Amino acid sequence: MNTATNGLKTWTTLAGGRRRPTEYEVVSYNLHTRTRHPGYAYELSPELFMNRFYREHVGGSVLQHPDWDAFRDPDELIYRQYNVLQDGHEEYVDGLLEEHARNEHDLALDPAWLKGLPRLYTAARYPLHALQMAAAYVVQMAPASTITNCAAFQGADQYRWISRLAYRTRELQVACPDLGFGAERALWEDDPAWQGFRELLEKLLATYDWGEHVIALNVVAKPAFDLCRCRQLARAARDAGDTLTAMLLEAEWRDSERSQRWTQALVALTLQHAPNDAAIATILARWQPLADTAIDAWCAALPGVPEAAAAVKRGLRELQQACGVQPA
Amino acid sequence: MALLNSEDWYDIARDTNWTPRYVSEQALFPKELSDVLEMPLELLETFDEPYKVTYRDYVKTQREKDVGAYSVKAALARSQMYENASPGWKALLQMHFGAVSFLEYHSVSAFARMTRFGRAPGMRNMATFGSLDEMRHAQVHLYFAYEYLAKSRTFDWAQKAPRTDNWVIISERHTFDDLEHTRDAISAAIMTNFAFETAFTNLQFIALSADAANCGDFSFSTMLQSIQSDEARHAQIGEPLLKMMIDSGRKAEAQKLIDISFWRCWKQFSALSGTCMDYYTPLDKREGSFKEFMNEWILDQFVAKLEDMGMEKPWYWDLLLEDIEVFHHAQQLGIYLYRPTEWWHPIAGTNPAERAWLEEKYPGWNDTFGQVWDVIIENIRAGRLDSTIPKTLPMLCNMHGLELTGVPGRKWNLKDHTLDYQGRRYHFQSVVDKWIFEQEPERYAGHLSLIDRVAQGIVAPDGVMEHMNMAPEEYGIEGTNYAWVEAYDDALTTRRATGT
Ligand SMILES: [Fe+2]
Ligand SMILES: [Fe+2]
Repeated sequence: MNTATNGLKTWTTLAGGRRRPTEYEVVSYNLHTRTRHPGYAYELSPELFMNRFYREHVGGSVLQHPDWDAFRDPDELIYRQYNVLQDGHEEYVDGLLEEHARNEHDLALDPAWLKGLPRLYTAARYPLHALQMAAAYVVQMAPASTITNCAAFQGADQYRWISRLAYRTRELQVACPDLGFGAERALWEDDPAWQGFRELLEKLLATYDWGEHVIALNVVAKPAFDLCRCRQLARAARDAGDTLTAMLLEAEWRDSERSQRWTQALVALTLQHAPNDAAIATILARWQPLADTAIDAWCAALPGVPEAAAAVKRGLRELQQACGVQPA
Repeated sequence: MALLNSEDWYDIARDTNWTPRYVSEQALFPKELSDVLEMPLELLETFDEPYKVTYRDYVKTQREKDVGAYSVKAALARSQMYENASPGWKALLQMHFGAVSFLEYHSVSAFARMTRFGRAPGMRNMATFGSLDEMRHAQVHLYFAYEYLAKSRTFDWAQKAPRTDNWVIISERHTFDDLEHTRDAISAAIMTNFAFETAFTNLQFIALSADAANCGDFSFSTMLQSIQSDEARHAQIGEPLLKMMIDSGRKAEAQKLIDISFWRCWKQFSALSGTCMDYYTPLDKREGSFKEFMNEWILDQFVAKLEDMGMEKPWYWDLLLEDIEVFHHAQQLGIYLYRPTEWWHPIAGTNPAERAWLEEKYPGWNDTFGQVWDVIIENIRAGRLDSTIPKTLPMLCNMHGLELTGVPGRKWNLKDHTLDYQGRRYHFQSVVDKWIFEQEPERYAGHLSLIDRVAQGIVAPDGVMEHMNMAPEEYGIEGTNYAWVEAYDDALTTRRATGT
């Protein structure tokens, strides 16, 4: 009667595939328990607030797919590889900071450029944190563990750059105590350059439909924000001789590119289900104008890069086209 | 210019709160998700995480930890640890990976809720790492379980459990969904980080880990300890919040959250860890009894911590102390008898030597639980294996979701605590389980236990196994193939010979 003691080659849920499951699939695939039952995500009264919340915002989302678990991260990132990857990248950043500190980089910067950095550069910790929170929303709502994991890494990446920005803020504060480094909240809250992004991100955070949230975040808001800083500000920094800022932003862009890769995969999967075409178009039509306003306002404050806004919008449309969606 | 220390810039990295303008505060942080008690923002913003870690240090430390945890695994993949393990240790591993892996993964979302809806940046940042930690715990569990899968299909449940309605899984979900997943970020942090992780994870990760090392299962032992080092960090999210609740006159509310969480965790750990420690772990490898460990590592430490914070012991403390003597023994009987409904291969753990140990650790065991085991032994020895598996479903508690049990034998005291609420009758194991229900009936009332599903005709009586997503080849079987009763042949022969 002990026939049941036999082993299996792979998880039953992955059996029957044409190839051996990778380690990524073995530890990432189909792990959510809250997606088990369409009526109640949680094993309590179906009418409990949180069950209604998931029913409305995941079950009733504008985006639907018969098999969200079919999503795969093109990078096949698992936890232990994430740390190896980012530990290596952080070591590189340590080196950058060390080298530039040794060369007294900040003291050699043009005073006019320095004066603009609190607004253009260090104030960004607030929107970066908004993006961290937005990614966390995707983590808790996404109907597939493979999507949740990508969003968890993305959220941690956002905190990574908040930390590096805080480091630089302090360093610049020491070098130039009178320029307002460390007191950027007022800039984020009131400076016209930031109000577009502030409106975009506040409205994004208050968007609870999971499908609309993830598309507005990863196809519109985050790439728009990252393009402004990691591309246009980096360019301006290079022109101003601020190689450290430029190199840090370029390093940040690498994380952003990883986000774009899984976003493309996610949108591709989403578009397999025909009705999502129109749903995504509607989402873009709603969010793109907010992003355009944000890009215009922010780029207008960027000195010496007159074509910045156009370049960001072009870049954003390219990314959206790479996702297979028609920009609004 | 020298490099900065993390203290120089850490505060800037958590100076990221702002006042929203384009949406309302309430739209951004609905109270049902952020803080039902609506504590003042100025207070919540004072959150100061006791255990600070930077992103830079996080990825470095975690990378190093994983090298340790996974390299032991590589060495063990070549060993015959599993093949050589006792049936009890095998049952323990099978049960552990099925019961724990999905809960770890589930917690990724719980921490994400704190990251999104917590009101202080420090809390949100630590919860960001919490989500990653829990992903780590899930992935290391799945990785290990996958190694064992080639040896036994029972390990498929490490991956499959979350998508099933197995009664054990339902019971776990009912508990941890209640504490971790369906409350505002602050209540969830008190219940999860403070009450559950601070108090109970020691049981898994210290007691179980010690037993594992004694058994020579170093990969399991190392894995558990490595996980505990993350728990020790992210569990500290709860304490500053608890302090805020106390300081702002919300001590009673905080006490209730702790009382509910502690009891609910107790039931889970008693049924799952208690049975593992006192029945599944080989006798000569046991570090101590479950009761001893509960007293020393859980109760004493937790009470000290509570008192330190100015909180009280839960009101049901005397009932808890009584329950520690009996609950897991009763559950062990149920788990053994209903073995086809479980994905693992349960063992009895009650041969004569084991019984002597149980009687020593839990005086009176023989006169109570021992009497039921005597009947089981008699049936097995007479070849009546079928009569050791009940034909009817057990009563399940509408709170803890496990079998409604009492203490059998001379002082059988099964007492079903019932409650009629909106036309439905609910059954509870104890006054505490019932009390929890009464604190917020609408939270629990709509849930149907497996038995309720049968009673209401949602699940046909002969469709229960299918409903639990258990294929016939997955039905739990006796872990020793009944070999354990052979020890009683000798005992009986001796007894007859000596005329006792
Ligand atoms: Fe964990
Ligand atoms: Fe944890």
